[in-house]
Amino acid sequence: MTRDTSDSEGAEPTETDREDQPSDAASATTGVILRGEDVTKEYQTGTQTVRALKGIDFGIAPSDFVAIVGPSGSGKSTLLNLLGLLDVPTDGAVSLRGQDVSTFSDADRTRNRKRAIGFVFQSFYLIPTLTALENVEMPRMLDKTPVKTRERAKTLLQRVGLGDRLDHYPDELSGGQKQRVAIARSLINDPALLLADEPTGNLDRDTGDEILALFDELRAEEDVAIVTVTHDAYVAEEADRVVNLVDGVIEDTGETAADGGHGA
Amino acid sequence: MSLRHRIAGRFPRLVIARRNISRAKVRSILAAASILIGVVAIGAIGAGGAAFKQSQLQSIQAQGATSVYVSPGTDMEASHFDREDVKAIDETVGAATIVATEPGSMELITSDGTREGVSVTYIDDPRQLHEVERGGIPDNWRQSVVVSHEFAADRGVELGERLKLVSETETETGTVETEHTYRVVAVLAESQSFGGGGLFLPIEETGERQYSRVEVMTESTDRAEAVAEALRDRFNDRKDRLLVFELTSLVRLLKTLVNGINAFLAGLGSISLLVAGVSIANTMLMAVIKRREEIGVLRAVGYGKADIVRILLVEAVLLGALGSAVGLAIAVAVAMVANALFLGDPFAFTQSALLYLAGAVAFGILTSLLAGAYPAWRAANERPIDALRG
Ligand SMILES: Nc1ncnc2c1ncn2[C@@H]1O[C@H](COP(=O)(O)OP(=O)(O)O)[C@@H](O)[C@H]1O
Ligand SMILES: [Mg+2]
Repeated sequence: MTRDTSDSEGAEPTETDREDQPSDAASATTGVILRGEDVTKEYQTGTQTVRALKGIDFGIAPSDFVAIVGPSGSGKSTLLNLLGLLDVPTDGAVSLRGQDVSTFSDADRTRNRKRAIGFVFQSFYLIPTLTALENVEMPRMLDKTPVKTRERAKTLLQRVGLGDRLDHYPDELSGGQKQRVAIARSLINDPALLLADEPTGNLDRDTGDEILALFDELRAEEDVAIVTVTHDAYVAEEADRVVNLVDGVIEDTGETAADGGHGA
Repeated sequence: MSLRHRIAGRFPRLVIARRNISRAKVRSILAAASILIGVVAIGAIGAGGAAFKQSQLQSIQAQGATSVYVSPGTDMEASHFDREDVKAIDETVGAATIVATEPGSMELITSDGTREGVSVTYIDDPRQLHEVERGGIPDNWRQSVVVSHEFAADRGVELGERLKLVSETETETGTVETEHTYRVVAVLAESQSFGGGGLFLPIEETGERQYSRVEVMTESTDRAEAVAEALRDRFNDRKDRLLVFELTSLVRLLKTLVNGINAFLAGLGSISLLVAGVSIANTMLMAVIKRREEIGVLRAVGYGKADIVRILLVEAVLLGALGSAVGLAIAVAVAMVANALFLGDPFAFTQSALLYLAGAVAFGILTSLLAGAYPAWRAANERPIDALRG
């Protein structure tokens, strides 16, 4: 297997044949969507080098729910960016369904992001000039399949409980409703992986619980794996797995997760 | 699913750009207005100037710029053309109307007995030069005189009236005066052509059927130029047998002059488009800075760099097109006023006027496109993680 050619050619069928992709890749990589090995990330600021991640390993399988916790500056967002193909590691390897991300061009990463990954942000980042429905459609707006996209967007908004808010603009929605629109938007391309950076950070506990319940449904019904950075203990408690990041390394997993909330 | 939605779905970038423009309405309107001013400046100056040029050309042409005037040259044996000479000229110029005349002067004896000098043109048929307004010219019009519109109007001359004219001939013994009486048979129509005033008498009245001036009338100034060229080629090879005079060089001078002034003014107008470009660039730069996070989200959810560039360029071009469209409407209105003023018809757009108008719009849109390039490039190359941090 000569890397250069097989990688670029391997990318082609996945694009046209989305349905087969997970099972194909699953046989090769035992169901893992995203895998990281000895992942290191350094930032260069002037003469200083900041090691944000110091060689960590991870693997994310379909319908996983992973919470990343840790004090501020411990590298949580950095890790999430690597998972989301928004950045590449300085050292080590991140692979998406067996394909080394470092071999991707910027355009390749963009394409794979669109195909496989959904993003949810702490401050929602909805576009104020678009209605809830149009915000959900936004990632697929350039596909020129307006009818299909609209149907899917409506279904998703109904799924997140906003079937009666389709034509509302973001400033007419509450925080929890905005986050639900953002979650619907992240799902428009049927991603295998949903990445959330403090999705409940701007929400009260009750609204946060609603979002968590929604995550549970999505995992059960759509097989979506969810990785969320959180400072909220109740979110971490719901997760299958807790990754506790301290100063760029994974301390340990499990019960100590709640400490992350205090550290922030 | 509404039809509107289906159509909008085919042009997503346009829809996105249009929405973004309406987000910062005042800023967008100001940017479009700057383009508008540039387009109006170029379009109105260019098209107005073209109308002015056209009117000047028309009046020059009406005054005989399409004609070539030929007189005997310094090397001609006789100081007159005879029938043979006129025939030779006619053969040389090809498809053009030839009018051979003999200018002269006489004295008119008015009703109170005073004398007044008048210019006389001896000609085969005055209808070669002018239309008849009143009366008619008989085949044999000896003893008849045809008067110009101006002559009749100035002196209150009526058809059928008899004019007493005195001609002078130089002989060895001195000046001999001869008195003639001619009946006015026709009054000619008004004309702007130069040398058109005065009286017209039959060529036979000169006695020898000699002409000292030949006017070659052509369709256009270009033809006139060609005719003059051909005449000089044929007759003035080594000797100056003909004196060829045409107004085309004057026309050319006027054209160059007006074109130059027009281009200069339109160039000044282009400077206003340059300023407009700066304004568009500034607007777009502010927009991408304000929408930094939003563009970061677009990149994160799968919009490529090229998508971002295109969306922002469409936005810039839309601003420019908006300004250009309104600017074009204003420029056309100004040009129509100029057309009405100079050419007497608001819709008398010349080709160069239309070119100026189209050019102004093209320039306006191109300026916007160029002005949008840097902001678009900058926004597209911002890494989404940088845009979304914090
Ligand atoms: N673009 C960057 N340039 C320089 N240093 C950075 C950059 N991004 C993050 N860092 C540094 O990397 C470390 C980890 O940051 P981050 O992943 O944002 O932590 P967290 O999300 O856990 O608060 C911090 O020390 C931060 O200052
Ligand atoms: Mg962070």
